[in-house]
Amino acid sequence: MKTVSFFFSTKLTFDDYVHDHSFALRIMPLETETQHILTSNLKISPFVTTQQTVDAFGNNVTTGYIKEEHRFLDFELKGKAEVNTEKYRTDYMPCYLYQSEYTLPDENLRTFYNELKETCRAESPSERAKYFCDVLSDMITYEKDVTSTETTASQAFALKKGVCQDFSHILISILRMDGIAARYIAGLAFCDGETHSWIEYWTGEHWEGIDPANNCPGTDDYLVISQGRDFRDCAINRGVMFGTYTKQLQLVRTVMQ
Amino acid sequence: MGTISIEHGDHLYWLGRYTERVFTTLKALQKTFDKMIESEHGYTEYLSYFGLTDIYADNWDFIKSFLYDLNNYNSLAFSLERAYDNGIVLREEISTEALSFLQLAKDTLAKAQKAPNPRFALLPLEDLLYGFWGCVYENIYDDEIKNIIKCGKAVERLDLYMRMNYSYKKVKKEYTRLCKNLESIPENTPYRYNSFYYNELSDILDSSDEYKTDGQKAIISLGHIFDKTEVSA
Amino acid sequence: MSLQPEQTKFAQAVGNADEINELLRRYGVKFGIYKNGVFNEQFFPFDPIPRVISAEDFKGIEKGLVQRVNALNEFLFDIYHEKKIVKDGIVPEDFIYISKGYLAQCEGITPKNRIYSHISGIDLVQGKDGEWYILEDNLRIPSGASYPLIARELTRIAAPEAFTNNDIVDNRNYAKLLKATMEHANCGGIRAILTPGRYNAAYFEHSYLAEHTGSVLVQNDELFVEDNMLYHRTYSGGKTRIGVLYRRIADEYLDPLTFYPDSLIGIPNLMEAYRSGNVGIINAPGNGVADDKGIYYFVPKMIQYYLGEEPILHNAPTYLPFYADDMKYVMDHLEKLVIKDVAEAGGYGVVFGNELSKEKLEEFRKTIIAEPRRFIAQEVIDFLDLPITDNGETVMRKADLRAFVLSGETTKVWASGLTRFSRNPDSFVVNSSQGGGFKDTWVLSR
Repeated sequence: MKTVSFFFSTKLTFDDYVHDHSFALRIMPLETETQHILTSNLKISPFVTTQQTVDAFGNNVTTGYIKEEHRFLDFELKGKAEVNTEKYRTDYMPCYLYQSEYTLPDENLRTFYNELKETCRAESPSERAKYFCDVLSDMITYEKDVTSTETTASQAFALKKGVCQDFSHILISILRMDGIAARYIAGLAFCDGETHSWIEYWTGEHWEGIDPANNCPGTDDYLVISQGRDFRDCAINRGVMFGTYTKQLQLVRTVMQ
Repeated sequence: MGTISIEHGDHLYWLGRYTERVFTTLKALQKTFDKMIESEHGYTEYLSYFGLTDIYADNWDFIKSFLYDLNNYNSLAFSLERAYDNGIVLREEISTEALSFLQLAKDTLAKAQKAPNPRFALLPLEDLLYGFWGCVYENIYDDEIKNIIKCGKAVERLDLYMRMNYSYKKVKKEYTRLCKNLESIPENTPYRYNSFYYNELSDILDSSDEYKTDGQKAIISLGHIFDKTEVSA
Repeated sequence: MSLQPEQTKFAQAVGNADEINELLRRYGVKFGIYKNGVFNEQFFPFDPIPRVISAEDFKGIEKGLVQRVNALNEFLFDIYHEKKIVKDGIVPEDFIYISKGYLAQCEGITPKNRIYSHISGIDLVQGKDGEWYILEDNLRIPSGASYPLIARELTRIAAPEAFTNNDIVDNRNYAKLLKATMEHANCGGIRAILTPGRYNAAYFEHSYLAEHTGSVLVQNDELFVEDNMLYHRTYSGGKTRIGVLYRRIADEYLDPLTFYPDSLIGIPNLMEAYRSGNVGIINAPGNGVADDKGIYYFVPKMIQYYLGEEPILHNAPTYLPFYADDMKYVMDHLEKLVIKDVAEAGGYGVVFGNELSKEKLEEFRKTIIAEPRRFIAQEVIDFLDLPITDNGETVMRKADLRAFVLSGETTKVWASGLTRFSRNPDSFVVNSSQGGGFKDTWVLSR
């Protein structure tokens, strides 16, 4: 068990005024069997009243609506949590066994899996997941700015490059083809300057974390913010606004210790 | 009804304007057709109202264009089509019965196009418009909402009367009607008048001499009557 | 159960077709259609020979439909919660999760009163044996109720004696039933009908139902969610809370922050307000999982599973190549079956075995073997033709019946429905966009 402090901030700036801005944030870390939130404080500017709901995947959703004109939306999260990965989470959903928008394999990825399956001697889901993760780790290079938040597993696999989000999508896609339920995790990791992503797979009894971008198991250094079928269910900030802006700039900073 | 959106408010206003445009241009066209009986290009005065040049071969060419041509923005067909467009999205406010009058008006115009004597075939159109307005006023219970369509109608009529050089007496009557409608629109709602232009319009239309000299300016002021930002003189 | 003698008895026009169609034109009974990218409004032609359903027949249909819709509502609750029917092995898991209609985002949502399908449009056909068969369930946004509603008003004017001389159940209560159904789902506020706009095929219906239920007809840009409540932006700068939204746009477009992010016709955060029980949505998002072609096969089993009853109305005999026995049957009888691709909708992906060449049939056989879950196979039902008037003559044409089932305080079947027929003598397609028309549907009271 470990007590961690976390800090997370996002500054969203528009190059012109926007109004009637509706947003949904998935940013408040989850209270689960493996993590207990001691304190958690969210500040949003400009001032707006917000509501908290919990979505279908168990994520905390903070919604708000800013009618008046504004040029930025900043939010800052500060808190403390106890993480204990010796305990297990068991909130299974069958949809995690099926491919979703970002993980749907193309012919190429499917062929790759069919060959991979032949070389895999492991039997238990844990061993298989570790094996797949090892192979991916050798095969895919971590590289920024070659993929975006829109990149699917198949696209990133074709590039053989990507960031943590892409590693997660490819591994999830392979695990699901292998008949192992897997879900996408968005969160904060120790020693990482940005939000991180890893995955959890279902052992048959509980969820187990694995970080394909770093090829290591999930530990007490990982704080879960949200979970879902893929990135789409876990976007930190989704919003709709009106105005004549052409650009928006997002700055993200995280600290965990 | 109780609740009406800005969008529906706009549709009501334009429904008032376009149905009135159909009505007043229909009357003016009937007058023009009458003139054509004895004169070769009997429509030149009508064109001058709107500052249009004569590109028409003969009377018949003019009639076809100003009655049926949807590409002519000054035609009856065009105005009726716009009235229908604005009406069709207001069914639950104005009723299916009211809309049926617009459908019948469209059908009447389409039939007139095939009739040997269009002027004769168009006679029911006026009745249908009276029926339409009666039905609309009957069905909109809320006076504030009813007043939006009335405002649209009154603005359009005054605008056309001034463009068509109607006598001061007639213009003044329509102006007084418009004032009554405008005064009952609450502040801070989209169709609250702009006091600068309202005053400007009043100054001109308060005397027949001013109307004669500054008629064009009055038309412009009327065009700005709902401008959002107040102008100080 | 045969209806033949009665059909003949009533096979006479009620009023003059031209007169009634003229009136329908006048009242704007239209549907929108795009041809070569240009929007056109077409009149939906009415045929004056009514379809007649005897009191006894209707009683059976009514009981069967109530039972079916109740089971479907139970199924929807179960699928988005415990999934007992899957755990108990009645419905294979794959059929739920590969269905496009299943929306994981709706997991755990319990709509007010646990009703998911408030307005169900169930399509039936009557076989030549007099038996009624269910063709398809429509639990998302079934349309078509407004046409028979307005037609009845007009035929009563055109042919009053037909209604004096026959015991016909008055069907003009649809708006009242709909209003009560909306009120039952209301979470506090006004009633609103959400339309994608005037250029939608069913715009006439949206506006007509708004007028007759006293609801506000709205488009997305008039609405917003604030403090987890849905509001209508009013003309004078205020806001009015909406308690129930009868939406006529598809699930995927409802909320760009939950579903399709590029939707321009949705309302951001509507799903959060709905999940919190602050607004009712008619019908519930996610219902597509229950009216999927693959799931259709399991509806009789659902009735047994949830209600412990035997199904009163039958499906058209259906086979799932997913099951080995059914696969064998399908392979042996492919040339006489109709095969439907479960992923396709709106008449697409439907193949009649008898229309395929030998080579095509063999090719298709391989496709089915390769992807057994993708298809269902059905016996072609020889359904009863109905008389229609065509240029002054009476001819026989294929027709179906869309029955409307409303679930509010109780489940009720509207004593009417939309009878659509095909214009083309060889066609089984009764779709309005294919030039077909509609008839009044008389339910006799005794």
